[in-house]
Amino acid sequence: MKLLTHNILTSHVKGVTKGYPLLIKATEVRVNEVEFNPQFVSRMIPKLEWSALVQAAEGLGHLQDLPSSLIQDYENNEEFLRKVHRVLLEVEVIEGCLQCPESGREFPISRGVPNMLLNEDDS
Amino acid sequence: MEEAASQLEREHVHSVYEKIAPFFNDTRYKAWPKVRQFLLDQEPGSIVADVGCGNGKYLHINENIFKLGCDVCRPLVDSAWSQGHEVQLCDGLRLPYRDGCFDAVLSIAVIHHMSTKERRIRAIKEMTRTLRVGGRIMIYVWAMEQKRRKFEKQDIFVPWNPNPPSSLALHGPARGPQRGGRSQNEGEAADSSDKHRKVRSTSSMVDDGDLATSQQKSQRLWFFSRSLDSVLDFGSLSVSRSSSREISTLCTPSDETNGPKVGWRCPRGKGLIRQMSSLFSSSRTSMEEDVFETDLQEQVKNEEIINSTEGNEAVSVGLLQDCTSVPLPDLVSYEMEQSNEMRQKENNGEKQEDDTPKQQESTASLQGCEGENEWSREKLKDSCMRYYHVFREGELTQLIENHVEELHVLHTCLDHANWCVIAEKVQVWRI
Repeated sequence: MKLLTHNILTSHVKGVTKGYPLLIKATEVRVNEVEFNPQFVSRMIPKLEWSALVQAAEGLGHLQDLPSSLIQDYENNEEFLRKVHRVLLEVEVIEGCLQCPESGREFPISRGVPNMLLNEDDS
Repeated sequence: MEEAASQLEREHVHSVYEKIAPFFNDTRYKAWPKVRQFLLDQEPGSIVADVGCGNGKYLHINENIFKLGCDVCRPLVDSAWSQGHEVQLCDGLRLPYRDGCFDAVLSIAVIHHMSTKERRIRAIKEMTRTLRVGGRIMIYVWAMEQKRRKFEKQDIFVPWNPNPPSSLALHGPARGPQRGGRSQNEGEAADSSDKHRKVRSTSSMVDDGDLATSQQKSQRLWFFSRSLDSVLDFGSLSVSRSSSREISTLCTPSDETNGPKVGWRCPRGKGLIRQMSSLFSSSRTSMEEDVFETDLQEQVKNEEIINSTEGNEAVSVGLLQDCTSVPLPDLVSYEMEQSNEMRQKENNGEKQEDDTPKQQESTASLQGCEGENEWSREKLKDSCMRYYHVFREGELTQLIENHVEELHVLHTCLDHANWCVIAEKVQVWRI
């Protein structure tokens, strides 16, 4: 699970109103090399919940020097875009779980795939 | 009702896909052109979801957009992940994505597996929730009407056949690189070699494999089901057991290991489905989802069999099943008729044009299959019947227009055997 995906995922447990963002508890993290596409990253940024991204990266120990708030004119700032690229697309959680911030319900991640299936009682 | 619906789906969609997943990957590489185009038309930097992505065959299209896929079938999702895609396990009725996060959503050959109208609507609503205003959704579902023929009923069970090994050699595209890379245009590789095979197919479905050549016999069969919606209507019927179990109670185990020599003993006791499945899985034809008969005169009334025409290679049989706890009396009598006639004709290998086409079919096909044991047919001897609700013309559009106010239908068409609808999410103002 990449952090870009994590940014989109939310808890959908019945009755939960604040299911986002999910807390990441990772037991295995991998960093891959992914081809850098500045236009792609730049267009992705406005769609993100920035603070959730920062929080997630920090939780994994991969924050490095990513700023906690978006900088101005990031579209042309390659250095910045590369940092975002790394965090969004190169850091990957292979094993662990995602925890609903409100209900505490845990969704396992195994072999890179989050299992967001709900049981009868919590859906 | 909800429980019955999800149970039906569990047994006749989810668990079937889980069983057939390993075969699925090798054969189903066709990316429908319109879907491909829809993806290519997305602006760079778009985020697109493929809800019900299967083995992820659309996820490699267009490198400039971010795609994520989800499905309820673990083996298929794992397979998609190993191809380098971002995928999750989840249920289409409860998507784990925040509101308005997608620029586009795909629902290709998915909602026709939902067993009630209410669930189909919920699925569309859920996907709409995750779409941003101005974003578009593309939905493909099986059509009831085909170019040359028509399903008699809208709620059906379709058995699954593995494709014969020979077709694999021709059509199995090279697997993409392992995780870390992106699989290359599998769809294209398959497309070109597929073309000559597409000719006879009018119902090749998005998620189903290649068809046998015209020389091979085709076996087409589907089972009617009463819609769970209609069961609800009748009120008094309780949907307590799955439909396959209903069939089971009516049939006896047959001696499958004897193969062709005994022809096809029809059912008393459990195993009609099993028998049907093994019949199909051992058939050389294995026309995956080609459940239609070209030359057939469709005169199915209740449990009558359609007569086969001379030289006709395939037969459609409609069996009425019901999702109730009481076996249908007419089903029982139909089978008794069948088994009587079959016993009479068991040793007679002639082709006959009477109403036991199944027997001639089965004998012929079983005889043809002995050497083909590459597939682990043992696995498939269990029921591999998939539930489908096929859509009438305009049904999907109407469903959206009447029940999903945030979607505005832009385009509808019949693409091969599917109804395709593209709709846009609009802002709804409430005064």
